[in-house]
Amino acid sequence: MSIALDRLRSSWALATLVIASVLVVVGALVLAGASPSRALWDLVISSTGSASALSGTLRELTPLLLSGVAVLLALRAGLFNIGVEGQFTVGALACVSVALRVPGAGGIVLGMAAGAVAGALWAWPAGAIRAYRGGHEVITTIMLNNVAGLLTTALVAGPLKDPAEGSPTTEMLPASSYLPNIVSIGGLQMSSGLLVGILLACGLWWWLKRTVAGYELQAVGANPRAAQFAGIDPRRVVVTAMLRSGAVGGLAGSIYVLAFEHHFYPGFSSGYGFDALGVALLAGSAPILLLPSAFLFAMLNKGGTAIQVLDQVPKGITTVILGLLIVIAAAIRYRNKAAANA
Amino acid sequence: MRRALIAIAALLAMVLLVPWPEGSAMGQLRASVANVFAQPGVWLSISAPLILAAMGGFTSERTGVINIALEGKMLTAACAAYLATIFTHNPWAALGFALAAATAMSLLHWVLTQTYQLDHVISGMAINAIALGATNYMSGKYADQGATELPVLPSFTAGSIKGIPITVSILSLLALLIPVALFLFARFSRGGLRMFAVGNDPDKSRLMGVQPSRVRLSGLIATGIFTGLAGDMLFSSAGQFTNEMTAGKGFIALAALILGGWKPLPAFGACMAFGFFQALQLHLQGMKIAGADLPAEAFSSLPYLVTIIALAGLLGRSNAPAALGKP
Repeated sequence: MSIALDRLRSSWALATLVIASVLVVVGALVLAGASPSRALWDLVISSTGSASALSGTLRELTPLLLSGVAVLLALRAGLFNIGVEGQFTVGALACVSVALRVPGAGGIVLGMAAGAVAGALWAWPAGAIRAYRGGHEVITTIMLNNVAGLLTTALVAGPLKDPAEGSPTTEMLPASSYLPNIVSIGGLQMSSGLLVGILLACGLWWWLKRTVAGYELQAVGANPRAAQFAGIDPRRVVVTAMLRSGAVGGLAGSIYVLAFEHHFYPGFSSGYGFDALGVALLAGSAPILLLPSAFLFAMLNKGGTAIQVLDQVPKGITTVILGLLIVIAAAIRYRNKAAANA
Repeated sequence: MRRALIAIAALLAMVLLVPWPEGSAMGQLRASVANVFAQPGVWLSISAPLILAAMGGFTSERTGVINIALEGKMLTAACAAYLATIFTHNPWAALGFALAAATAMSLLHWVLTQTYQLDHVISGMAINAIALGATNYMSGKYADQGATELPVLPSFTAGSIKGIPITVSILSLLALLIPVALFLFARFSRGGLRMFAVGNDPDKSRLMGVQPSRVRLSGLIATGIFTGLAGDMLFSSAGQFTNEMTAGKGFIALAALILGGWKPLPAFGACMAFGFFQALQLHLQGMKIAGADLPAEAFSSLPYLVTIIALAGLLGRSNAPAALGKP
């Protein structure tokens, strides 16, 4: 009886949260003088309504999906890798620096490797401090994000700057170093980077499900003490999980720069690493669900820019929606966990 | 921590007391350091938003609520102060709105972490996102197009050094008083004891009849007020609102809190130290040290690097509230 009552109450609480969130967004749209249904329609059409719109959304999807894989991997080990933003940034710069020196396909491969290594190295202090010193990885990764932004800015304003440009940026990559599109039919374009993302998401699912290392990682994430009694060293798992997550984060930055941006500049990532936290939370524990979850975030990113023009709604509204989505996803997660414990 | 303090004092003495030749790198550095000390008003006004936000972090984290949302609450307050100033042209009303807006965000934080029992890190991230989006939305919607000068809170002159008056704003003064008040509160009052008890062991507190969620409510309301002051101060110093104008100050404040071992007076000291380096950076801009350009970013990354080193346990044991982040 009491369990049923609890479930009912938590359902109500969740419903309240969802209704309040919808009211906030609808209220904001009305306040902006836009019709909410019209704005929603515009958002969907401008992100999926045409081949070029869909291409733009798929472009946004690529870094979001890859970063989402990075966050989810750490999350399964019980770690919040808020540092994907920083790993993405240093990974992209490392990749460009290598690809500018090694042209062609070799540069692409070496660049992605360099990006992954840079990302892993950038994540390592957070993992090590968490495992051996007990310092919270959230705080260290936040600090590392800020250092990553400042360091890369200093580098592209100084030693790595393109001398021909006035503003701080690296040189442009040669066309031979671009990641090719795998689909290019009329206006519809899909980068091979997205394929890497899809493969990584599937790979993560397989790795977590079918390998000893993946099993150990989830055991530590579920209960470090129990894992220790089972003969797993939680500290080693935490450090390697952070390294792997950072490597994927660095790879995400590399692919973003090789496939789309082709050069590195200050403020390179428009918050993909942060959005990825929402992507991973919404996906829950299933790596395959990263795809629809990242697609939703990509639609919001792409469509948000469009409704700013079409409906005169400032783009901030989509950031608010992302924040509310994070809250709702977390509330659903908590509810499921509570139900499992009851 | 003590060793670190001695090292800092020794470095300062080396820079200031050794008669470095004029024009040498060290001579320039000495002149710049002396300049920062000669303008305590500027130094304080740079440090004050950090101090106020760090105190907001103190009241929340000491009750056990991890607060990575200081940034978002400050940003909300700065935007609210800006919009209220546009509509009322009254800096005091603006201050009221800033406090109300930051407190509202803090109450949302309380609902999410206590009623919904969401993870503190997730709710903090969500609040930052909501604040970032909402301020972008509101300022984009209601921004004052005409570049009129907006009224801000009055400042007063508190003496002078070598003929240069020291201007101190009212909020700067509060930034000096609040850490002391919080220290006394934490040390000598029943409320302070409850705050520490809940942050260290909520289960035992519950047994003793102290409701953790209620104590956290007061803690988070205080966070709202302090971050509101910090945000209003950011707006007052700039005279306007720009998107993302907090630029990581909320995280630097959090860093200072951690560096200060979650204690108000050491955290105050850490904020003043970070403020010192920011002020020094203004003086050192474009100066060559040892023949090389020292990028401004080197100074800006100092607080973050020091915090990482502190969390690695290289500056002595840290003593976080034992139940930080626990329900």
